[in-house]
Amino acid sequence: MAQFLEQIINGLVLGGIYALIAVGYTMVYGIIQLINFAHGEIFMFGAYIALMLITVFGVPFWVALPLSMVLCAVLGMLMDLIAYRPLRDAPRLSALITAIGMSLALQNLARMIWSARPRQFPDETLPTIFLSQNAISLPGGATLPYRDVFIILLALVLMVALNRLIYLTKIGKAMRACAQNSVAANLMGIRTNRVIAITFIIGSALGAVAGVMVGLREVVTPTMGYYKGVAAFAAAVLGGIGNITGAMLGGIIIGLAEVFGAGYISSGYRLAIAYIIMIAVIVIRPSGLFGKSTGKRA
Amino acid sequence: MKNKLTPKNILFGLLVCCLPLLMYGVDRIALFLSGYDIYLGLPSGDYMLRIIVRACLYMLLAIGLNIVCGFTGLLDLGYVGFYLIGGYTAGLLMARLGVTYWVALPLAVLNGALWGLLRGAPTLRLTGDYFAIVTFGFAELLFRIVKNEQWLIGGPNGLVRDIPPPAIFGLTFNQNWHNYYHILILLAFVVFITYRLENSRVGRAWVAIREDEQAAESMGINVSRYKSLAFAVSAAIGGLGGAFIAQFQVNISAPFFEFWESILILCMVVLGGMGSIRGAMIGAAILGSLGEILRPGFIVPYQFGNARYLIFGIILILLMRFRPGGLILKKA
Repeated sequence: MAQFLEQIINGLVLGGIYALIAVGYTMVYGIIQLINFAHGEIFMFGAYIALMLITVFGVPFWVALPLSMVLCAVLGMLMDLIAYRPLRDAPRLSALITAIGMSLALQNLARMIWSARPRQFPDETLPTIFLSQNAISLPGGATLPYRDVFIILLALVLMVALNRLIYLTKIGKAMRACAQNSVAANLMGIRTNRVIAITFIIGSALGAVAGVMVGLREVVTPTMGYYKGVAAFAAAVLGGIGNITGAMLGGIIIGLAEVFGAGYISSGYRLAIAYIIMIAVIVIRPSGLFGKSTGKRA
Repeated sequence: MKNKLTPKNILFGLLVCCLPLLMYGVDRIALFLSGYDIYLGLPSGDYMLRIIVRACLYMLLAIGLNIVCGFTGLLDLGYVGFYLIGGYTAGLLMARLGVTYWVALPLAVLNGALWGLLRGAPTLRLTGDYFAIVTFGFAELLFRIVKNEQWLIGGPNGLVRDIPPPAIFGLTFNQNWHNYYHILILLAFVVFITYRLENSRVGRAWVAIREDEQAAESMGINVSRYKSLAFAVSAAIGGLGGAFIAQFQVNISAPFFEFWESILILCMVVLGGMGSIRGAMIGAAILGSLGEILRPGFIVPYQFGNARYLIFGIILILLMRFRPGGLILKKA
């Protein structure tokens, strides 16, 4: 029972992290119909930047987190500016291949800079509340680390904030307009390129937070962006790509499925579960669980 | 393509045929000059021959991938899956059942084609990004399976030194020059088949599907059938490459078939220009040898690790930006 409860907690935490990454995929896809393969790498850079700020420059954690968000936002914006914007009118396949090249280049750049060695946030640099021994004891012998409470709460706050941003603000309205029809939005005086840049900024900043969260719980490696990125992408597909609320729910489902699959089937097939869900959704119901069936396939 | 017997072509053909002899000569001269096999830090001729064999293998795979990516215009991110299936089919047949290579090879090709059809069936309706994602997931699933299943395929260790070298008329294929002629014959066969297909009714149907699927359908082309055929032929070539690598490397294991290998092959096709057989071959020759040169420990220091993938990524980005048609522009 205690194990079951802990698995649920793990699944929810992982799901929250996936949801944060998945939002980045789904927002970009919603507007420019591009699977931004390199989004996982932004997430990985978020973790490494925070780690470097803390360990090399001695920046406190609460400053390193927002700073990493800002730097990743800049990175995401530059990526759009350099690689994707010139291809806006090119065939979609070209942009997709560019995204793959970007992912490959960034991942191996990280490997060159930081080596493939897994790293961790050193315990003494973190706020003491995040240490794994600081946990709430739950009935039945399960424990709930404060770290996980923090991750779930932060993910929730960011999700709600994003939701409000999209539905209540002017820029959110512009983003929705671009997602519906970017040409018409442009004709109505919306600066499409600026909206796309802001989409990349928001997605990358959220990805950076997710990267730091993974760093708190697991290790930081150059391939984490690839592995977690694919699972998060599966979450985006599951929720109906382009659908932000769907991505959040998809993240939770994938997180739970992955934790329970690893716990009760085989840990070697952790990622395979996300792949299977992703393939099944695309083949059976390409619009995703929560997407509207538009009859149009990507 | 017309076959012209110009002096240039004849010279090129002679060079290709006598390459092992040339490399042997390089080794003899190096030995004579320095007393060692390795002269001036250059790799030995035998080692270069091995690199050339690998480059030829990549040419074969690039031609196979080009059928789906170039001719029918669907982005296949999981081509390495068929390569894996061919490798493990041939490897298991030879190592566990003692089947000879000459039987295992066609079986690997057939198994590849079968899986091409199996993967193709649910993806026939998908295009663009979704097709790419399903193919990617397919290859990754296969990779996970061979990495995890211990009982038959050795899990992470793979099939370790279990695969006997093929033999014909008492000649055992265990030298690099044997493998060179071996892959040359396979490659020539594949090039011949794909050229014939490209310039036939089938090839024209594939290109029509790439240009406009609906228009092709309304002109009476059975899109599902021709797409399935493309998947099967492409996968069969992947299986052929896998069977070759199984006997060439003696042991095969999961890391041979990682996702990035698919991207490397894709990069070759894109570099040469999608839809061109010659382009795919030139792209494979360039990147196949570049990949060997940039392997850690040769020019690139060890601590940089796989810098070559960084360079491949940049090549992909730059090509899409400046030369989306690849280096070899196919005449319209």
